[in-house]
Amino acid sequence: MKNSILLVLILTNLTLFAQSEQLIPQNAVTVFSINNLNLLQKISMDELVKYDFMEEVHQELFDGSTSEKTLKDAGIDFNQRLNVFYGKSDNYELSGFTFGVKNSTSLFEVFDDFTEIYSKYNGVKQYGSFFNNLIIKDNTALLIRIEPSTESIDAQTDSIWYARGNEYPFGWGLEEFDEEIFDEELFDESDTTNYENEEFSNELEENPAPIFDYPEANEDPNEKNYFELRDSVQLELQQALLAELLDDLFMKNNNLLKNDPRFAEQLTHPCEGTFYLDNSRSFEQANGLWYFQTVMPSLYRDIKELYTGNIILGDLILKDKSIDFLVEARYGEKLGSVYQEMNDSKFDKNIAKYIQKGSSAYFTYNVNMRKAYEKAYEVVMPILSSEKNADLAMNVLTLELLNELVNKDALFDTYKGSMFGTFNGIKKIKTKKIDFYYDEETFEYGERETDAVEDMPIFTLGFSIERDDIPEIILKNLSRLTSKFEKHDNYWVFQNAILDAAPLYMINKNDLFIFTNDEDLAINHSDGYGAEQLPKKIRRQIKKSGFMNGYLDISGALNRFPSDLLDERRSEMINSLKGKSGKMYLKSTKTTNKSTNFIMNYEFRGEENSGEHLLDLINTLYIFSK
Amino acid sequence: MKKLILFSTLLLLLLSSCIELIDDLTIHNDGSGTFKYILNLSASKIKVNSILALDSIDGKKVPSLNEITEKLNSFALNLKTQPGITNVSMLIKEEDLIVKFSCDFASINELHNALKASILFMNNGKEIKELNQNWLSWDGKILKRNIPLLSLTISEELKETELDLLKTGSYTSINHFDRPIDHAEKPETKLNPSKTASMLKVNTFDLQNNYSLIENAIYLTPIKNK
Repeated sequence: MKNSILLVLILTNLTLFAQSEQLIPQNAVTVFSINNLNLLQKISMDELVKYDFMEEVHQELFDGSTSEKTLKDAGIDFNQRLNVFYGKSDNYELSGFTFGVKNSTSLFEVFDDFTEIYSKYNGVKQYGSFFNNLIIKDNTALLIRIEPSTESIDAQTDSIWYARGNEYPFGWGLEEFDEEIFDEELFDESDTTNYENEEFSNELEENPAPIFDYPEANEDPNEKNYFELRDSVQLELQQALLAELLDDLFMKNNNLLKNDPRFAEQLTHPCEGTFYLDNSRSFEQANGLWYFQTVMPSLYRDIKELYTGNIILGDLILKDKSIDFLVEARYGEKLGSVYQEMNDSKFDKNIAKYIQKGSSAYFTYNVNMRKAYEKAYEVVMPILSSEKNADLAMNVLTLELLNELVNKDALFDTYKGSMFGTFNGIKKIKTKKIDFYYDEETFEYGERETDAVEDMPIFTLGFSIERDDIPEIILKNLSRLTSKFEKHDNYWVFQNAILDAAPLYMINKNDLFIFTNDEDLAINHSDGYGAEQLPKKIRRQIKKSGFMNGYLDISGALNRFPSDLLDERRSEMINSLKGKSGKMYLKSTKTTNKSTNFIMNYEFRGEENSGEHLLDLINTLYIFSK
Repeated sequence: MKKLILFSTLLLLLLSSCIELIDDLTIHNDGSGTFKYILNLSASKIKVNSILALDSIDGKKVPSLNEITEKLNSFALNLKTQPGITNVSMLIKEEDLIVKFSCDFASINELHNALKASILFMNNGKEIKELNQNWLSWDGKILKRNIPLLSLTISEELKETELDLLKTGSYTSINHFDRPIDHAEKPETKLNPSKTASMLKVNTFDLQNNYSLIENAIYLTPIKNK
């Protein structure tokens, strides 16, 4: 009761003083809210737009006219929060940010492409620039972009196109579609082709039609062709969606702050930044679930129910030379019971032996797969069994039979669930290369295989195991298949396993099965690092914390990490943190059936602006949550 | 397509830390001969394979090894159809990242034209300005030569970090003749004891900065009348 009164007071307080967060649409699924904007005053607009999280509001907002301007020059009220949000539904995506306005004249010197448009809402001014919309109410602003989904635009366009009696709009059937025509030169604007090849140019003369038969304009110039119609539909849908969203905000007075007390409560925390991600709504909007929704609606409902209350909330706390990020992952009771069982596991002390003191980065993950399986079986099977569907019934039968027939002791003793990983920087790895040598008499050349060394990041990944005989069976038989598998006294080696060049070592000892490309670990430390292992103090800390622990020395790890070995998204994430020097610690608390807390501490050194550090961190989180 | 061809044939060169390139030209007294070209990336397998494992790099699609092989084979097939060209061979050792190309030619002009035509074919007929470069000429007495077509185009695409990687690479240009060499324009040119072969080896990084390093003229002794 006391809490409820407090919450009401908080909400009333928030309502009395119009703040930027009141303009966050309730459809927002992810929100970053930065409280202490003073930190960011020195950051130039040009620097700000370089962050990935700003991509959503499009860089064209900040064109050449904003160069050398800082946030301070933009008429922004630094006593209000800056909230960056993103949301997605089946039919559209929305993104934008809300902020306080102190001086609208200065604001429009930055947002100089916007022109005022009619607003039907009292006290609300509306401005537009291409697809971006700026809405100002009192001293708060909402900058928003709303994009209808391609599917919904196509469906509406096709419907109107065919209703008008038009035929299939594309000249060629898909059966003649040739992937080659999508080669980049077709769209290469800088193409200055001179078809000198006679044969080729003759062919062009004989077939002057473009590769695609684009829909042609009707004889009546007032009649739109397919793509013109599609553009119109897109614009209309955007306007309709925006109108719906603004009606919700300004007529029904709905917003995320009002409609989600968890978000409202989070904003009361005394911290510099807040993170909100409603996973249950992400689940609803996941495109891959349409099959369940349409074919097995009751199963979809049940699974959705499992995800009810699944939300991630976070606080960013800036200290003098460190940033704390406190995250709470909340979930419904059923799903929580699975997590609770899964995380009810003691830390495997063997793991610490294989993490070297001074390691640039490591993580430990401590779970009990057996308990998690039993609980998940208990929770999920009744849901699956209650569904009246022939395919699903067969799957349920298979699952039940496997549950009865499979030796679960052997299975979960082989893969218990606990694991660890380390990154020990870049080392020289021995490889083989082909050398061409020359006969000094004739300058004819021959080939010979010689040793080479190449740089490679050194990784180790290990799993807790009780049945070390099972991997031995697998490895023994693999070594019969190929001579690349070799057994040594303390380890196995798989030659050329990594990128066809470097060996992979496997250590099957001390109730651990370890993969590594670290020759030193395999040959000299197959029983662990002994006195060189993680210090006792850190081992105790890991033991005391929850299922997850991590450590990253940024200067030692990321700055040396070859990001071109990663895919584009992960590479972006690493690059956003590169150039920093600091240490990052991650740990989780004990898991209950309602929530798990994660604590990330980022200590940085040097004279860097803490606001930039904050933005870098937000950016990393943003890329991670995309 | 041009970018794809370049990427297919030169990606490995652009981003590899240790590269070995060998071009070997044999010219007989009658002007016919054999052209061999070797690209050896075996010393950079980790780097190259890690790049080939990516979908894209700097926004450009990274072709798979299969696609590169397919393009190179298609180039060789087309070259076989060109007048004056015989015994075309394209050997790709995927496990060692070595490409060996060779062909026989009836005359230097026909080799030049054939290579140009095949590259144009691979580029769907679109002009590539670098093809107009006359990298090879032979008048029966003097062989004038530079880097083969297209190799020059890479420099514009290289970033500073990638240029650094070329520092450990080498480019070797070898020429074989039926009769002795009188002298070579570049003093760094090595001649074999019988003086029927020359070799000029340069660092790929230096070469990138100064193409003329490999530019050479080989002067032969007159043909002895029997």
